[in-house]
Amino acid sequence: MVGALLGTRIRENRKALRLSQKDLAHAAGISASYLNLIEHNRRRIAGKTLNTIARALKVEPSELSDGMNQDLIDRVKTAALRNKKIKTEDDRIEEFSARFPGFARLIARQSDQINIRDEEFAVLSDQLKNDPYFAEAMHLLLSNITTIRSTADILASNPKMSEKIAKNFIDNLAKESLKLSKTAEDIFDYFEPTSEQQVTSFDISPFEALLEKNKYYIDDLENGKKNVDQVLSSLTLSPDEIIKTKSSLNSYMKMAQNLPIKLFLDTAFEYKYDAISLANHFNTDILSICFRLAHLPIGKDIPQFGLIQCDASGMVLYRKQLNSFSLPRYGGACPLWPVYRSLSQPLQPIRAMLDMPMGDRFHTISFAYPTEAARVGMPALTEAIMLFTTDYNMLPKIAYDQTPQLDVGHQCTVCSRLDCNSRRASYLLS
Amino acid sequence: MKKTITIIEDEPFIIEALSFILEKEGFIVKSISDGAKAIEFVKDTNPDLVILDIMLPNVSGMKILEDIRSTKLIAELPVLMLTAKGQKKDRRAAEDAGVNEFMTKPFDNAELIQQIKHMLKL
Repeated sequence: MVGALLGTRIRENRKALRLSQKDLAHAAGISASYLNLIEHNRRRIAGKTLNTIARALKVEPSELSDGMNQDLIDRVKTAALRNKKIKTEDDRIEEFSARFPGFARLIARQSDQINIRDEEFAVLSDQLKNDPYFAEAMHLLLSNITTIRSTADILASNPKMSEKIAKNFIDNLAKESLKLSKTAEDIFDYFEPTSEQQVTSFDISPFEALLEKNKYYIDDLENGKKNVDQVLSSLTLSPDEIIKTKSSLNSYMKMAQNLPIKLFLDTAFEYKYDAISLANHFNTDILSICFRLAHLPIGKDIPQFGLIQCDASGMVLYRKQLNSFSLPRYGGACPLWPVYRSLSQPLQPIRAMLDMPMGDRFHTISFAYPTEAARVGMPALTEAIMLFTTDYNMLPKIAYDQTPQLDVGHQCTVCSRLDCNSRRASYLLS
Repeated sequence: MKKTITIIEDEPFIIEALSFILEKEGFIVKSISDGAKAIEFVKDTNPDLVILDIMLPNVSGMKILEDIRSTKLIAELPVLMLTAKGQKKDRRAAEDAGVNEFMTKPFDNAELIQQIKHMLKL
């Protein structure tokens, strides 16, 4: 069928260039009558004649020959599958693509663009779900609506209520409605492109994107199915990105080799995933254990850990977020997080339970460490990490039961702890 | 004998609405909005049931629930979690912490009363 349509494609391409049969035949060095037979699929051509006609039509020979438009045909098929409610002539897609290559390309392009939009939408939707500001705003919105609904119901179903009580509830209704409008406006403002609070987590590095895609566990590297170069070659990167990503992948590989996943998981289970006990057992540093714990496969009995790594200025160097604990990319986090305190107490692990304003609780271990050998007269360069988890029930009871509890937030603008002494910016939803 | 219900909730207008509908049904209502003082308040008021919000200032409702379950005398108290945090993980966390019932905001007044009566076997 496709072979039979070669002539049709030649005709459509010729018409698109507004060439007459005579012109094309002349350019290709064949007679017009022979071209006419070819265009009506009555003569098969290949080799030199096909190449000459293709050159005259300014297309690749493969675009005219059998299977040439397979990619295009597949894309049009994908477009047709997208909407099952509209019945398409699936058995004539090849003919359609051959007869109307321009329209076929347009449909394919639009279908591709819809795919890209869908993927972007999924990413944005995911970001929205993990956005602390949005979650807080939604909570406030629901509180407003709860008051209004419950109060309105009281007024509607108690007509004999005293005037004084009714007036009180009507006042509540008015005040809460105003708050609702304000909350709605704030949310609207937040999504304006100029809004200061917009999370700028779009510009993540290729390595972070790879980790996110693999849910922070690169099975191919862990189990030796691929080496670093093979993983690297599967990514589209600029020369600068290649160097950085390779270095990050090498660090990941080193972690996977030093603490092989199977042995580590067995041991971690025995020690109830306690970073400090594991560091003692493996006779290694807490930093390595924390990174290993933040990069475990997802499993029913495996706790999920997040991790933030920052330098002495608080600048985030690396982060693995958890759904309920989003981390800022460019500073601005809650100054009460123990990771910042650990910077003033290098090499001393700090264990703390964090209570978030929205009710989430996290077990954390923070640890600061020098990044280079001491130099006379120079301050030691220090970095810090904080490992955190909501699955603290899977840790030794002592790790979360007898640990100092801290009331903290994500960042001031989304934190409802209005009387906090560390506040440096207003709560946007107050 | 009238049953006592303690509300732990930080939104004053929600407290007012809840108090009205519960008192109309003949319950004695006590309320507190500061999570940090909630456990002492529950012990003092000795209620038959607690209505608890998750998102509270100072201490989260989840922590209060854990504290209720680990405090003698009040450990068995029926607790109704009433919260805007209605995601599966919140529900699961509340169940793990020992909640009796879980309702999401916004709620229907009549359904809430029905739920409370069911919990108190009235």
